[in-house]
Amino acid sequence: MQLRKYMKQIVAGIAILSVGALSLAAQAWSIPTTDPTATIRILSILDPKNDNVQPVIDAFQKEHPTITLKWQVVPFDSLNSTIDSHVANKSGDPDVYWADQPRISALASRGEAEELTAAFAKFTSNFDPSAYNAGLYDGKLWAMPIANSTQLLFYNKDLLKKAGLPFPSPAIADRMTWEDLTVKAAKAHAAGAQYGFAFGQFDRYYQLEILPVQLGGSVGASGPGNLTPDFTSKEWVDAFTWYGKLFSSGVSPRGVTSEETDPFFLAGKTAYMVQGPWFLAELQSSKVNWGVAPQPKFANGKSAATPTGSWSLAINPFSKEKAAAAVFVKWMTVDNGGGYIKYRSNPELAASVEGKKIYFQKSVFASPEGKNAVKIIDFETSNTAVNRVSTIGYIEFEGILNQAFADIRNGADAKTALESASSQLTTAWAKYK
Amino acid sequence: MGKSTRKSVLTVVAIVVSMFFILPALWILIDSFRPNLEIMSTMTPVSWHLIIPEKLTIENYVALIISDRFDLALFNSAVVCLASVAAGLLISVMAAYALAVYHFRGRNLIFAVVVISFLVPFEAIAIPLSQLFTDWGLGNTMIGLILPGIGNGLAIFNLRQFFMGIPVSYREAAVIDGASEPRILFSIYARMSGPALVNSALLIFLGQWTAYLWPLLLVSDNNLQVAPVALARTFGEHSASYGENFAGAILLSLVPALAMFILQKTLGNTSIGSGEK
Amino acid sequence: MKARHSVAPADRRRHHGKRQENFWATLFLAPALVALVVLRIAPTISAIWSSLLRGFPGGIKPATFAGLYNYRHLFGDVNFINTIGRTIVFNLIINPLQIFLALLVAVLMIQRIRGANLWRMLIFVPVTIPIVGSSIAWGAMLNPQGPVNAFIVALGGAHQPFFTSPGQALACIIILASWIGIGYWMVFLIAGLKAIPDELYEAAYLDQAGPIRVFFQITIPLLKRNLLFVLVADTVANFVLFVPVQLLTNGGPQNSTTLLMFDAYRTSYGYGSRNLGAAEVTILTAIMLVFVFFQFRLLREGRDSE
Repeated sequence: MQLRKYMKQIVAGIAILSVGALSLAAQAWSIPTTDPTATIRILSILDPKNDNVQPVIDAFQKEHPTITLKWQVVPFDSLNSTIDSHVANKSGDPDVYWADQPRISALASRGEAEELTAAFAKFTSNFDPSAYNAGLYDGKLWAMPIANSTQLLFYNKDLLKKAGLPFPSPAIADRMTWEDLTVKAAKAHAAGAQYGFAFGQFDRYYQLEILPVQLGGSVGASGPGNLTPDFTSKEWVDAFTWYGKLFSSGVSPRGVTSEETDPFFLAGKTAYMVQGPWFLAELQSSKVNWGVAPQPKFANGKSAATPTGSWSLAINPFSKEKAAAAVFVKWMTVDNGGGYIKYRSNPELAASVEGKKIYFQKSVFASPEGKNAVKIIDFETSNTAVNRVSTIGYIEFEGILNQAFADIRNGADAKTALESASSQLTTAWAKYK
Repeated sequence: MGKSTRKSVLTVVAIVVSMFFILPALWILIDSFRPNLEIMSTMTPVSWHLIIPEKLTIENYVALIISDRFDLALFNSAVVCLASVAAGLLISVMAAYALAVYHFRGRNLIFAVVVISFLVPFEAIAIPLSQLFTDWGLGNTMIGLILPGIGNGLAIFNLRQFFMGIPVSYREAAVIDGASEPRILFSIYARMSGPALVNSALLIFLGQWTAYLWPLLLVSDNNLQVAPVALARTFGEHSASYGENFAGAILLSLVPALAMFILQKTLGNTSIGSGEK
Repeated sequence: MKARHSVAPADRRRHHGKRQENFWATLFLAPALVALVVLRIAPTISAIWSSLLRGFPGGIKPATFAGLYNYRHLFGDVNFINTIGRTIVFNLIINPLQIFLALLVAVLMIQRIRGANLWRMLIFVPVTIPIVGSSIAWGAMLNPQGPVNAFIVALGGAHQPFFTSPGQALACIIILASWIGIGYWMVFLIAGLKAIPDELYEAAYLDQAGPIRVFFQITIPLLKRNLLFVLVADTVANFVLFVPVQLLTNGGPQNSTTLLMFDAYRTSYGYGSRNLGAAEVTILTAIMLVFVFFQFRLLREGRDSE
């Protein structure tokens, strides 16, 4: 009897606790009109000092003195496992975190992101469509973009002169072809450039997805929920056969990591490199005599697709300070074109239309080459940007595909490597079906 | 072969062998004093500049300490390690002694528990353990960082192996003299096991000194973060600062290298071999 | 009667000693056992349990019991079978190799040579360098255009692809791991070697025994306990090694460096599939147990101390 009574009490207690937990998770919130008093924890990959985010933090604190920010930094490589474990602890720490855009579907489906549709969908028109859409999963909004990206062709004027090569035109209409670039890069290499051509990020889907897409291929997955691998088509094989030849012919280097490509270009060892606008600041302060042109396309290609996407902010569903978190997210992404873009001293491409205006005013765009870059960036982000595939299985997709790209770079046959990756991914995706 | 020829030949062999180990480390040391750009650009293709810097600078160390607060992280690591070694070694010595000298029922079972405890990769239990620790309120605490370091089965195993090599006659003589068990343990067994104690301390120390995953899972407060995590921050999304990474690697390796050197000098020669003489 | 009278006190004393021994054994073992059970064994059991569940990636949605589903999934995947095979071959090579070399170096270092302490410390230095730093350094040295290749070519050899070739990448990982490991295990072996009484060596030399005979007839048998520890600890270290793989090859080229721990780490922490990752680690631990069992058999302890 006694025991039974206790059991009943315990069961009731558990029921109350779990209802409490549920109601906490589903607690209604909106962006408040007056600031609450709260401390919110922000999990980021950016260090306040090293990565020039301190001015952003200071500006927020000045405008919203009652909301205290506690900044947490984790190493870039460990961000996702940290989010997984910290959010799953259900302690509500962190309140807001940096979300890699192609992972947003996964974060949302895992229950690691708070839905933002009711509070933030009204700001749709503020953003470049591709940037806003990156936060969507299942027709709902889960994260807000703080930045965007694109890719440009940078070249070293001195190395090109030495090889007797003309400078590529900055005009969109005169976009180079990959075929032409390969020939010229080989010449530059023969004339003394250590590397003829480099992708800023070798072997990464972000950088290479556009190659098959330009040829008319898919973004890599299709079917319901984009959970069927789709990268063994002729377009994919052709694109990556070209990619493999870059290395077997010696135009591009094997064994160089994506972290090493920027320093090599800055040290004057690379003739041509495709890289993002974040590279402009480093170029400006370097001794390299550089120029910029649009990212190339294939001669027989169907489009001039360019990479896009960056980081977003998401709110922890277990956060106890969602209203304050929402104030912060709105301030970072929406207010005045986005506080993140406005106050961060080394610029990142804005995701919002208003933010882009502020962005193009930054000093890196003052030089003639900088002005060329403005035109290219503006055009590409509104016309040729192709998002990474949206799937809850993105993490496995990217991991396995990047490895296939690396194998092709190291000499594996493109068709074989892609087919083997496809079967590996089918196995890895079995759990979502 | 004369004694001195033999000595010279062996010395030369020793030098050659140690070069294989020290040259890559030396390169890390040299690079920690060069600008990042120069490290990258001298890596390939090969030239003399790989080992002879064009420009020496302490900027990597300055950046690491001023902006990354590596000094604070090193301090945290040191506190965690010292506490872990002190507590862990004491616990291990006692357990190893019990396993080595007493004959009680279940001894083999307990020894099996010890062995299994270090066979399971820590990565496998880190997530559930970190959730437990957070529930217990140990998230973002020093204690939470220290605790996993003190239950070190390898250290127990190492000490047990060493203790078993100590002739039973020592213990028997001490028992007849009326020495208590703790006395036998601490003033006979521990005293005679200098190198094994040093090595077990090393096991516990290095385990904590290089811990990366656990602090990452348990600690979110930057002021409590440990050095290996701070070191990993030198790798960004688009770029890596090899210079800062190498500077951090050098700072991190100084402490165990020096500790090892000093401990070997002081404790390295107390052993059974010399004890019997 | 008489006999019983005379035996009883001694018996009682022995009995008393036994009780005292049990008391001290409990006291000495309790802290370690509590620590090991709470911090290792209990989480291990929960990891094994979790390998029997099937759940959505991430740690929030509750997982459901699925029996051996994860294991069936793994053993039905040819890539995973290859990973197991590769891991076993890797360990069959690297563990004896490292211990053998570490033993050679340790024996060299206890000889009467000039500056022994210094050389010993230099060999130990790689142990102290964070593996992130040493992985980068070796990655650069073994770069296709790097210094090691320059050296090989200068000596008239052929250019080597190292980490970029499926045939050589795992061997490069073995070199890197041994560069770190040899100095580490050397330290433990030196401690064991020093515990061997000098008298035994002196006696052997008086018997005109050659150095090789001394090594096999005196050093190895007397070093057994120490070797057992080093071999077991090294095996564990190499089974769970994954940082150089993660930093340098990411399991490639063509899966040639995908070792089980790397795969399990990627499954649990990269993909967030905790249950599947738990199954992989359970398999890994089981294989390790087999290895360690044979090592205990191979270096069976003499009953001399009992």
